[in-house]
Parts: sequence; C-alpha cells; structure tokens
Amino acid sequence: MSETTGPIALQVEGVRSGYDAVTVLKGLDFTVGNEIFAVLGANGAGKTTLLATLARLIPLMAGRIRFLGDDVSSLPPYETASRGMGYVPQENGIFPDLTVLENLSVGGMMGERPRDERLAEVFELFPDLRSKRAQTAGTLSGGESRMVACARALMQDPRVLLLDEPTAGLSPIYVDMFFEKIREIHRTRGVAIVLAEQNATKALEVADRVMVLTLGEAYAVIDARDVTTEQLKEAYRI
Amino acid sequence: MNLDWLDAFLISGLFEVVMVIGLGLLLHLELGLARIANFGVVGFWGLGMYTFGITYVKIDWPFGDPMQFLVCAVIATLAAGLSGWLVGWLIADQDTDGVLVGTLGFATVVLILATTQQDLTGGALGMGGLGFPYDIGTVKANELLWLLITASIVALILFFVWRVHRSPYGRLLIAIGSNEPLARSLGKPTYRTKLWLFAIASAAMGLLGAMYGVMVRFLEIANLGVEITLAAMVGLVLGGTVRVWGAVVGVFLTVGLFDILIQSYIPFPREWYTQAIPVLREAVFGATLIVVLLFRPLGVLGDMRRDKLMRKLHGR
Repeated sequence: MSETTGPIALQVEGVRSGYDAVTVLKGLDFTVGNEIFAVLGANGAGKTTLLATLARLIPLMAGRIRFLGDDVSSLPPYETASRGMGYVPQENGIFPDLTVLENLSVGGMMGERPRDERLAEVFELFPDLRSKRAQTAGTLSGGESRMVACARALMQDPRVLLLDEPTAGLSPIYVDMFFEKIREIHRTRGVAIVLAEQNATKALEVADRVMVLTLGEAYAVIDARDVTTEQLKEAYRI
Repeated sequence: MNLDWLDAFLISGLFEVVMVIGLGLLLHLELGLARIANFGVVGFWGLGMYTFGITYVKIDWPFGDPMQFLVCAVIATLAAGLSGWLVGWLIADQDTDGVLVGTLGFATVVLILATTQQDLTGGALGMGGLGFPYDIGTVKANELLWLLITASIVALILFFVWRVHRSPYGRLLIAIGSNEPLARSLGKPTYRTKLWLFAIASAAMGLLGAMYGVMVRFLEIANLGVEITLAAMVGLVLGGTVRVWGAVVGVFLTVGLFDILIQSYIPFPREWYTQAIPVLREAVFGATLIVVLLFRPLGVLGDMRRDKLMRKLHGR
C-alpha cells in the first residue's frame, strides 16, 4: 500500500458503512495527506457511499474516521463541515430555489475570512458564475450547476474537499475544464481533495495517489503513476 | 360612534379574511420556504383559542381586562408554541408523509380533547363568558376595533415574512426546503432550524386563535374541523406557496369571495347562508386546490424569486 507523505488530513481505519441491512463498505483503511486522492471503481463499488460516509451523512457501522487528527466518527455532518470538510455530491449539489449568489452565500456562512474575499476568489476560479449570480440556480445547465456546487463548497474554506464524480454526464469541454480546476484548487489553495471518479484516465492525470475500490473493498492504494492497466481492468471487472 | 352604515356581516367576514391571511402567511414560512407540510394548522390555532378561553373564564384572576386578556393571550401563545415545539420535535426529521400524519394527528387530538374535557371546554355545548378587553360603546364598534387590532398583528406577521425573504435566515429556510441533505452537509443545523420555525409559527397561530376567541366570544368544537386548515392551505396554494403576497392574494380570492362578497353583497335567500353556501364553500375550495395544483402549481403569483428582486439584491 502506498503511504502518504506530509501531514495527514484524513485517516480511515476499518470503516464499514452502508444502508440499513446492506453493508457497502467492508472495512476500509487508508490515509489522505495534502494531495489529490482519487477513488476509482465501477458502478456499485461504493465510491459515493465512501464520500457520504466521510462527510458523516451516512453513519458508521464500524471503524473510525480521523479528520485533522480528531476523531469525527460520531460527529454530525454540520460539525465536520464546520471543521473544514467540504462535500460536493454527485447529484443535487445546489439549492435550486436560490440564486447563484445565494447558493454561494449559504456555503460562505462558515469560515473566518471575509465573505467578499472568498467570493472574489471563487468568481476568479469560475468566471462564468459572476455574470449569472442573480440567476436562479435551478435554471442553470448541468455544467454550470456543477460549478456552483464546487464553488459553494470552496466558500466554506475547506481543508479537505470531497468531490463525488464531478464530471459525470458533462460534455468533454466541461470535463477538461473541471479536471484543470481540480488541479488548480489543490495547487493554489492547498486543499486536500478526495475525488471519486469513473473516468480513470482523467483522474490518473491529476491524482497523486489512487485507491481502487471493488465491491466495497480496497483492491489497491497506490501511487497514481504506478497504476497498471491490469489493475484497472481487474477493478472495473472488464 | 355611528356605525349603522357598516354591515355586521362585513366585519365578521373581514375578520375571517384577516385571520386566515395570518395563518396563510405562517403556513407560507413552513410550507413555502422550509417545505414542512403542516396540515394541522387548526390544531395550533384551536389550542390557542381554547387555552385562552379556559384561562380567561375558569381562572379567577386578581385583575381585570385588559391585563386579564394580555396574560391569557400570552399563556395561549406559549401553550401553542410549546405544543408546536413538541410536535416539531417528532416530525422535523420525518418525510412529507410523516409530517402530514403527525400534524393531522395533533389537530385530531386537540379536537378530541376539546370534545371530551367538558368541565374545561364545555364540550359540544360550547364555552361562553368571553368578552372584549375594552368597551368603546356598541358591540359593532368593539368588533371593528378588534378587527383593526387583529389586522395590525397580521400586518406585523406580513412584515416579518417580508423581512425573512430578504435575510440569511430566509435563505437558510429555502435551502433546507429545497435540499436538506446538502444544507446539513454544509454545516447547517437543519433539525434545530425547522424545530424553532415550527414552534414560533405554531405560537403565532395560537395567538390568532385567542384573537378569534375574543371576536366570537363563544367557543365551539365545530370550529376545530378541517375548514380553517383548508382555507389557509387553499388560499396559500392559489396565491402561490412560495411568494410573500401569495397568502394575501389567495385568501382574498377564496375566503374573501365567499365570506365578504357572497355573504354581504349577493342577495341569496337567507337559509342558503346556513345550509348550501358553507357546503358549496368547502366544495369550491377543494376543487380550486385540485385545479391550481394541476394547472398552475406555483399559484397565481408564480415563481418564488422574481428576477427584478434578485437583480436588486445581487446586482446585474
């Protein structure tokens, strides 16, 4: 198993979770440092469940999650969010009845820096949102909605950003743009990113390390440069 | 004061309209913004009305009106607020079905208690002994003044709702209503927010119930049926659940039409007003609800966020 270097942002120990009687994650162990950590796997591998569990939206069945050194296993989601855990779900990542600016403001209620400063930063990162700030978010295109969701999470000034398939269903132009933005967010803001992705090729381009999930178990945690085609085929059951 | 020109039916009709507007505005906060489908409006309103009546009539206060009215109204408001907090505690993390059953169940409990606790409420015989906390001459003058006082309270509720729409608290309510899991993941205490909203709105509904008790001066369990909830719900849905003025416009088009226009200005035979029209009223309200939800689900006023207001708040 590949080890992280530098300070540990997230430490996952023997985590089991799922929905009622269905156990999806069957005992995961890994750490995330200040890096882009990609979680790859086929449909049903448990990527979305893993990110929702890390965001504390799904209760743990067993195991422990440490966030910036503190045990957050039993904390509610708003506690982990206020400590700097940003979460962008795969779907429904915006408030459709609010305008773009209001979406960002809801995200910006936390954090210590002035809201306008953070707002200027996210508008610099996603310039298209500036001209649409008074538009109701429910009327945006799919790509624009993902931008709002991502910008809203960044307004929290997160220490760790959980991105659940941010490019699923987007056109190739948006896909390229999003992966570039992910790299930029990590590079300029020093935010650790956990990226769940089906698009292995693109994810491997930006990730430092990769965890390959197969049916809720970690098939491998390795350096992104060391991933082999055979490992991916095995994980995706091709 | 000579009020011969003023029809007594018009005063009671206007009072009904004003009170239902107040209930519709409170329901707007719950249903329109936070998406809490409160079908037990009459329960909180009725609890306020009967708590006021019981404390006003059954307790031998060492002081008279208007202090007696104020103390009893405060107790009624607190009782409704406390019951709202308890019901909210049970339903705040339930889905829409759970909220609907929980609130309807509460309204039913209030009706059963009012019916069975005859020593306190008078049961089916009703409860008299209430009066205006002041006397400025004739009954009609007192009723007119009471209408104006109640209208002032409802105007305050309208102002509060208007402010909520422009505040971070309003954004939080809309965020919770439109995507609660996301709001929770963003660090918002969604459960606590919904709980307090429900408690405060229930308290205000209880106060309106107390105001109604003074206006009618005789409390009947017949008031605790579905009519009040239906009137507030239909008015709000017709005007627009998500708009500040939705309840105002909708209630005028429904309750106003029946309780003012038809009762005061259309010369139907008198017996119709006690027999046919109340039944027709509920039938029309029910049909209106179905038609509006089918063909204009956002109501007459439409979408929540007017482009003009949003541009004003956020710039172009």
